[in-house]
Amino acid sequence: MNITKHITLLLLVFATSLATAQVSFEAKLSKKTLGVNERLRIDFVMNKDGDNFNAPSFDNFTVVGGPNQSISTSWVNGKRSFKKTYSFFLKPKKRGTFTIEQGTIEIAGQTYKTSPVKVKVTAAVDKPKDPNDPSFIADQSIHLVAEVSNTNPYLNEAITVVYKLYVSPNTGVDNWREIDIPRYNDFWSQSIDVKGLQVQNGTYKGEEYRYVVLRKTVLYPQKTGKLNIEPLTLDISVQVPGSQRDIFGRRVMRSASKTVAAGNRTITVKPLPEENKPVGFTGAVGDFDFTMTSNKNQLKASEALQIKLEVTGKGNLKLFNVPELTLPSALEVYEPEHKESVRTTLSGMQGSISDTYTVVPNYQGKYPIPEVRFSYFDLKSKRYKTITSKDLVVNVTEGPNSASVPISAEGSTNATKQQVRSNGNQFASFKTTSNFDSIASENFFKSALFWWLLALPFLTIPIAIFIRKHSDQRAADVVGNRRRQTQKLARKYLSEAKKVIGNKDTFYNALERALHNYLKSKLKIETSDFNKDKIQELLRKKSVDDNTITAFNALLKSCELARYTPFSNVEMQQDYDKAGHVISTLDKQIKR
Amino acid sequence: MKSLVYILLFMSAIVFGQSNTLFEQGNRLYNEGKYQDAINSYKMILEHGEHSAELYYNLANAHYKLNHIGPSIYYYEKALQLNPHDPEILNNASFARKMTVDAIEVIPEVGLTRIIKNITNSYSFDTWAIMTVTFVFVFVILFLCYYFSYGSNSKRILFVSSLVSIVLALMTLGFAFKKFDLDKIDQPAIVFAKESRIMTEPNLRSEEAFRLHEGTKVQILETLEGWKKIKLSNGEMGWITEDDIRRVRNF
Repeated sequence: MNITKHITLLLLVFATSLATAQVSFEAKLSKKTLGVNERLRIDFVMNKDGDNFNAPSFDNFTVVGGPNQSISTSWVNGKRSFKKTYSFFLKPKKRGTFTIEQGTIEIAGQTYKTSPVKVKVTAAVDKPKDPNDPSFIADQSIHLVAEVSNTNPYLNEAITVVYKLYVSPNTGVDNWREIDIPRYNDFWSQSIDVKGLQVQNGTYKGEEYRYVVLRKTVLYPQKTGKLNIEPLTLDISVQVPGSQRDIFGRRVMRSASKTVAAGNRTITVKPLPEENKPVGFTGAVGDFDFTMTSNKNQLKASEALQIKLEVTGKGNLKLFNVPELTLPSALEVYEPEHKESVRTTLSGMQGSISDTYTVVPNYQGKYPIPEVRFSYFDLKSKRYKTITSKDLVVNVTEGPNSASVPISAEGSTNATKQQVRSNGNQFASFKTTSNFDSIASENFFKSALFWWLLALPFLTIPIAIFIRKHSDQRAADVVGNRRRQTQKLARKYLSEAKKVIGNKDTFYNALERALHNYLKSKLKIETSDFNKDKIQELLRKKSVDDNTITAFNALLKSCELARYTPFSNVEMQQDYDKAGHVISTLDKQIKR
Repeated sequence: MKSLVYILLFMSAIVFGQSNTLFEQGNRLYNEGKYQDAINSYKMILEHGEHSAELYYNLANAHYKLNHIGPSIYYYEKALQLNPHDPEILNNASFARKMTVDAIEVIPEVGLTRIIKNITNSYSFDTWAIMTVTFVFVFVILFLCYYFSYGSNSKRILFVSSLVSIVLALMTLGFAFKKFDLDKIDQPAIVFAKESRIMTEPNLRSEEAFRLHEGTKVQILETLEGWKKIKLSNGEMGWITEDDIRRVRNF
């Protein structure tokens, strides 16, 4: 009873230990791809001892060796591990992809099966490798790969190249030396330091590998079209497992030297679109912001002012120039100071570049700084974008007005007294009054009026000369003059009488009155003392000759006579003429 | 007929009064700092077909206050066309010119040509014409006096002074013609575009000769299908699109 109890307990413990320890049964291939002239090894590995191993039928292969059986048991830290392997060496019969069927084993009464594995048989490989040759193993188990982030970038778009060294789990690398470092012609390149090599796990062509990142490089293509990235070549000393085993059954590692190269990579660089390309585009590609700032807006002449143009963001910052500042010509400007604060990471350049201009205004005034445009190609939207800076106005409050006005030396005198005077250099105010003219006014010059005004005065000269000539002529003609004189006097005094020739009474009345009037005006005598003697006397005083006096008296007499005697029209006409004649003669003699 | 004349007179009086009130309104707005409104008010006067040096001057001042480089210089130039010697206009125009980007040297003229040009430019050709007419009148009067006077001394003085006045008349007439010709050649224009490309030929395919910025004064030499041949004061020449500039004179 006791014994049976113990046996069952033991059996229970044994069974649980069986149940807990996982049974694995796997088929492992030495390689998944092989040339038709190469050989393949397949291992059926189990971690528990089993019986009745049934190998699959290797239909497309001929078994050149095996099955070889090997068992290894090891104790590590009191823990036992067991491994039993059945190995076959196979030679493919033809090309193609074949499936190796399941192998079966019976472990503790249970039947386990391996999963089918696929093998690709390719065309004959030039030199069938000895799987035990270290350099061959190294070839198979060490790979240098250049990973390019983007093989079809735009011009000036950042791409990264990462060099990874893949090492299969059963090999080791002692040391390496770079033989050929790629020179990135046609690229702007910056390598990023790799600090400390970290071994990471990854897969290479579907197989488990360990890898190390050796180099990271950021590249900015500077040319369009197909560009070649030169390979990186390394000389590596490798530890490969040899065919011999040491006393513990471990393989003895053998050293080999190997040269590996990352293959040539070709990338195709797209040009930036020509469509909608801004005028001021200088090749900036990325994502940027642009600002123009000044450290002051108001200052005195001859003080300095700083204007900063800054581009911040991500992109090919070191590969283009900050747009230039155009300034009013009246401002003095010095060469800009260029500053770059750019970090290069795997995603490209990042940071800011700036140009700082020092500006010194010499004269008073207001200076609007023209806006500056910065254009770049945005990779996200694949479009050009333009940022326009804000307007800046620099106000110079004090200082001389302009180059033509010299700085006056007056201020030095009379320093004690404050003089009230405008300094004359101010911007003048508006005007308050105005007289408006029509915009469409006509010119006076070359108008008809102008020509007439110019010509008319000259026309008056010949007219004046003509008049002068004429009057001279008349003065020279004595007889004519006398006649004209008589006519003139007669017209003056006898006009009334002349009108009434034919009417005797009125005619002689008028004639007498005319004669009296004439004398009155000439001799300045009153009508009251008007008799013939008085007249005679007065006329004599004026030295009028006797004939004329007699004629005058005769006329007065005939005027008196006419009142009583009839007169014919002819006589009246004669008297009229006589009166005219007498008056003109008298006039001349009195004047003298 | 008579009533029509009255209506015309009345209307012109209204327009005149309107211009003055608009001008005063503009000045008030300017003084309050409402420069854009002031500009609108001043421009209404121009729309009525009237102008004056003071109007252009105030308009330019308002544009200057608003930092409009091109219009400001344009109206100062217009003001100077009407009144070339006003110190205030000259002063403020020099302020406005400092806002421009382009620095263009002026090739100085030397010797007699400069003197003659200076004298010619000191008056408008209309003023010269009026002076000519005046001197002609003076000459004729003096000549007639000389002709009709008797005293030998006075005759001598009158003859000499009449000779002087006819010489002066001829000279002023010459200046009037010279000024007229100068004005005909002188076709200033102001660049209004922020930046304008000056081409070597009147098309866009040709090479760019240089660039001009807002506010620069140029001389128009020729016109061809939307393009103007221009000359700078330093002697450079090129073609510019018509839209980029505005000529200062309307005739």
